[in-house]
Amino acid sequence: MQFYISILTFTLISVIAVTGIYVLTGLTGMFSLGQAAFMAIGAYVSGFLVVKAGVPFVLAAIIAVVISVIVGYIVGLPTVRLRRDYISLVTLGFGEAITALLNQTQSITGGALGFSGIPKITTLPLALISAIVCIVLVSYLKNSKYGRQCIAARSDELAAKAMGINVPRIKMTAFLIAVAVTSYAGVLYAFFTTYVDPGIFGWKKSAEWVIMVFFGGVSSLTGSIFGTIILTALPEVLRFAADYRTVFYAVLVLLIINFKPTGLFGEYELSVGNLLRRLSGKKEERSNA
Amino acid sequence: MSIQIIINGLAVGSVYALIATGFSLIFNILKFSNFSHGALMTLSAFIGYFFAVKTGSSLIPVIIVSMLAGGLVAYIGEFVAFRKITLRSTSPVYYFVSSITLGTLYEGIVTIWVGPNFYNYPRFFQSMVVNIGGFVISKPDLIMFISSCLALALLVIFIQKTRLGRALRSVSFDRDTAGLMGINVFGIIQLAFFISGALAGLSGVFLGINYTLYPQLGNLVVKGFIASVIGGLGSIFGAVVGAILLGLTETLLINFVGSGYAPVFSFLIMLAFLLIRPQGIAGSNVQEKA
Amino acid sequence: MKKFLAIFLAVLMIVGMTACGSSQPEAESPSETPQQEETAPEGDIVIGVLQDITGVTSTLGKMVQEGAQWAADEINAAGGINGRKVKLVTYDTKADVQEAINAYNRMTTTDKVSAIIGPPVANITIAIAPISEQYNVPVLHFAIDDRATIKDDGTPYKNMFLFQPSAKQQGAIMGKFAVEEQGLKKFGIIYNQSNAYSVSLLEPFKNTVESLGAKVVAEVPYQPNDKDFKTMLNKLVSAGAEAIYAPNYTQELILIVQQARAIGFDGRLICGLDACPPFPTLCGPEADGVIYINNITETEPQIQGIIEAYKQKTGNDATNKFFLGYDVMKILAKIIEEVGDDPVAIRDAIENLSGFQGLTGNITIDPNTHQTKGLEMVMHEIQNQAPVMLKRYSAEQ
Repeated sequence: MQFYISILTFTLISVIAVTGIYVLTGLTGMFSLGQAAFMAIGAYVSGFLVVKAGVPFVLAAIIAVVISVIVGYIVGLPTVRLRRDYISLVTLGFGEAITALLNQTQSITGGALGFSGIPKITTLPLALISAIVCIVLVSYLKNSKYGRQCIAARSDELAAKAMGINVPRIKMTAFLIAVAVTSYAGVLYAFFTTYVDPGIFGWKKSAEWVIMVFFGGVSSLTGSIFGTIILTALPEVLRFAADYRTVFYAVLVLLIINFKPTGLFGEYELSVGNLLRRLSGKKEERSNA
Repeated sequence: MSIQIIINGLAVGSVYALIATGFSLIFNILKFSNFSHGALMTLSAFIGYFFAVKTGSSLIPVIIVSMLAGGLVAYIGEFVAFRKITLRSTSPVYYFVSSITLGTLYEGIVTIWVGPNFYNYPRFFQSMVVNIGGFVISKPDLIMFISSCLALALLVIFIQKTRLGRALRSVSFDRDTAGLMGINVFGIIQLAFFISGALAGLSGVFLGINYTLYPQLGNLVVKGFIASVIGGLGSIFGAVVGAILLGLTETLLINFVGSGYAPVFSFLIMLAFLLIRPQGIAGSNVQEKA
Repeated sequence: MKKFLAIFLAVLMIVGMTACGSSQPEAESPSETPQQEETAPEGDIVIGVLQDITGVTSTLGKMVQEGAQWAADEINAAGGINGRKVKLVTYDTKADVQEAINAYNRMTTTDKVSAIIGPPVANITIAIAPISEQYNVPVLHFAIDDRATIKDDGTPYKNMFLFQPSAKQQGAIMGKFAVEEQGLKKFGIIYNQSNAYSVSLLEPFKNTVESLGAKVVAEVPYQPNDKDFKTMLNKLVSAGAEAIYAPNYTQELILIVQQARAIGFDGRLICGLDACPPFPTLCGPEADGVIYINNITETEPQIQGIIEAYKQKTGNDATNKFFLGYDVMKILAKIIEEVGDDPVAIRDAIENLSGFQGLTGNITIDPNTHQTKGLEMVMHEIQNQAPVMLKRYSAEQ
C-alpha cells in the first residue's frame, strides 16, 4: 500500500509542476529548462525555514513561493522580450547557476551532501488537494481573458501585438505563475522525501516535464495531466526492462511527436460537458480552440 | 603565469567553439536548439573509441570514422525525429521536444552499449605536453585547437564560397522562397545535419581524448549553449567568439574566485549580455519571426 | 509511405545500435535481467538489489549488482541456502532519489524481499534511511556518509547497515598513512564540490592530518563540468603543497593526475577508492606514484581468480565495488542459513555480526553505529601502472 501511496504522491507532485509548465508552454509557447531550479528554491527555502528557523510549515511554504517569484522576475526581465529559444537557454544557465550555488553554500544547504532532516508533512491528501486546486485555477485561467490573450500571443506574436496585447507582460505573468506553481511543487517534494540534494534539480528534470506536457497534448490541460500520469507511471511499469527503459520511453515519445504532434488529446479537454457531447454524437467540439 | 592562464582558456574555448558551431548550424537552418547534440557527441566518440581499439589505428582515421559516424547518425536522426515537423512547419517547440527525446535515446543506447566499464582512448602521442617558450601546452589541447580552427575555417569557406554554401544560406534565410528558386530544401537540411553531426564527432573525439569517455560526456554541451547565447543564436561566427570568450572567462574566474561560482558568473554574464546587447556579439535576429 | 519509412528507420536505428552493442564483449549477462514479474516460486529466497544501473553513478551500481549476482550464482550452484535458491530482484534508481524511493517501497511491499543490498551512493541511501524505519527489512549498503546509518540523535537507523569503513574512518586512514608512513607535511586538496563522496572525505582527512601536525596549505573545489584542472592545480602547487589529496571519481581523477603531471608536479597524489584498477591503465604512466585506499588487494589469489573468471565471462573488469556486493551477498547467505529468511531475524543477526572473513576484510558490525568496526583498508601505490600493496590499515590503529 505504502508503495502505491508513494508513487501516487510523486505523480501528484509532478502533476502540480506540470500545470505550471502548461501555463508557460501550453498557453504562451515558451519553454523553460530551469523550472527544476525553481523547484529547488521552493524545496530548499521552505526546508531551511522549517528546520533551521522553526517557521511553521504554511508560512515557510508561502515565503518560499514568494522568494521564487522574485527570483523568477529577475530572470524573466531580460528574457521575455526575446525569441522564445532564449528563455529555454537562459533558464538552462540559471539552473546550472542555482545548482552551483547550492553546492557552494555548504554551511547552509549541506552542499553536495544534501539537506536532510526535513519533517515529513506532505501526505497524499495534501498533494491531492493541492493538485486539484492548481488544476482548477489553471483551467479557470485558460478560459479567462488573460488565457485567450496568451493563446493569441502563442499563435502569432506580431498579430497579438497589433491587437494591442502587451505581449512581454503576458509572457512575464505566465512565467511567474509557472514559477510559483513549480516552487510550491518543490515545497511538497522536500516535505515528502525529507531529503533534498542539488543533483536532482538539473535541466533534464525540467525537460522531462515539457515532454510530459507535449505527450498529453500541449493545447489541452487535461491532456497534459493525463500525459504526466502516464509518463510517471510508465517507468514503474517498465521496471522489468531495466536498461532498456529509457530507450523505450524515448521511442514512445518520438512516435507521438511524429504521428500525433498535438499530443494524445490534441485540443480536446476532458470534461463532463465534452464527454456528454461526444456521447451524443456531436463531433464539433474539437474545433473550438 | 597569466599567459599560461590565457593559453589554458583558449584550449577550453576551442572545444566549446566546436560544440557551439555544430549547434549553431542547425539553429541557423531550422531555427531551433538541437538538444540532441551533446548525446550525439558521446555516441560518436564511443564509435571512434571502439574503432581505435579494434583496429589500433592512429588519430586521423579515428577522427574520420567518428565524424562520418556522427554525420550519419545525425542524418538518420533528422529523418526520424525532425522531418515530419519540418514538413508540417508548425511551432518550433516540437523540434525542442523531439531533439531532447532524441538525445535521451542516444544516451540510453550508449549506456546499454558500453556497460559498467570506464573507457579511455589509447595514447596517440608519446609525450603529453610540449614546452613553448617556457609555457606548458598539452599536446591534445594544441591539436584540438589547431583542428578546431581548421574545421571552422573550412566550414566558413564552404558556407561563404561554394554553391552549396550559398544554397545553405538561402535556405536558412527563407526556406519557402529557396524552395521556389529550385533549391532542394531537404537536401540542404540533410547536409546541414550531416555537417553538424560530423562536428559533433570531431568534438566528441577530442573531449574523449582530453576528458576520458563516459555516457554523460555530452553534458558539456551546456557550455556550447551558453556560448551560443553570448555569441548570438544561429550565428556561427558569434558562436566561436562567444565560446572563446566563455572559455577565457571561466579559466580566469577559476583562477581568481575559484570554480565554485563559475556557473553563477557564466549565467550573470549571459544575463548581462541579454540586457545590454540581446542580439549577441554577432547580432542575429532575436525577435520572434512573424 | 513516408510514415512507414520513418517508423522503419527508427526501429532499424535502435535495433542496429543495440545489436552492435551486444556484439561487444557481452556487456549484458543474461542472468542480470530481473524477473520480478513472475512471482517467486515457493522456496526461493528473494534479495532486493537497489542500484544505479543507468544514471551517473552506474559504473558503481552495476558493479555491486554484478558482484552480488556472482555470489548468488556461486551459492545456487552449490545447492543454494539450505536447499533453497537465491533470487535477486534488481531495480534501477537512475541515481534519482524519487525513483529510488519508489523502487525501495516496491521491493519491501510488493516483492517482499528478505533483505536489500543498497547502493554505494550517499544521496539515495540518506533519502531511504528515514523511510526504512517504517519497515522491517534490513538494508546493507556502502554509503560512507554517516547520515546514511546514524540519526541526528546519534543512534543508528534500525535497518541501515554500512559494510565498508565510513567516510570518517577512510579519511582518517588516508590522513594517518600520508603523515605517519609517508612523512608528508604540506597538503593541497582538490575535490568535486558536487560529489557527496568527495566532500564527505574532506573533513576527516583535514582533521587527521592537522591533529598529526601536518598542514593543509590550500584547497580548491571544482564543479562537475570542469575539465581543465591545470589552473586549479597550479594554485595548490604555488601554495607550496608537497602532496595533493584528491578523493574523486575515476573520470575526474584521470584528468587531475594527468594534468598535475603536465604542469610539472611530481609529488605524491593521495586518492580515494576510485584510483583502483582499471584507473592505472586508463590514466597511463602519469599514474605512477599515486597512493590510494582500497577495500581489497587484487593480488590475493582468491580475488584474482574471480577477477579473471569475471573478465572471461563478461569482458569487464571487476572493481572493488564488485567485491563489496559479493561479500554482502555471502554474509546474507550465511545469516539466512542460520536464522532463516525472516527479515527481522536477519536484521538482528546482522546487528550482531562478528568476525565474518570476507574478501574485503574481517567484517564486524558495531551495534551502536551499524557501521563496521576495525575493518581494514589496504593502502596501495601505483608503480609501473599496476597497484602495489603497501600496508593494511584500520582507523583504530
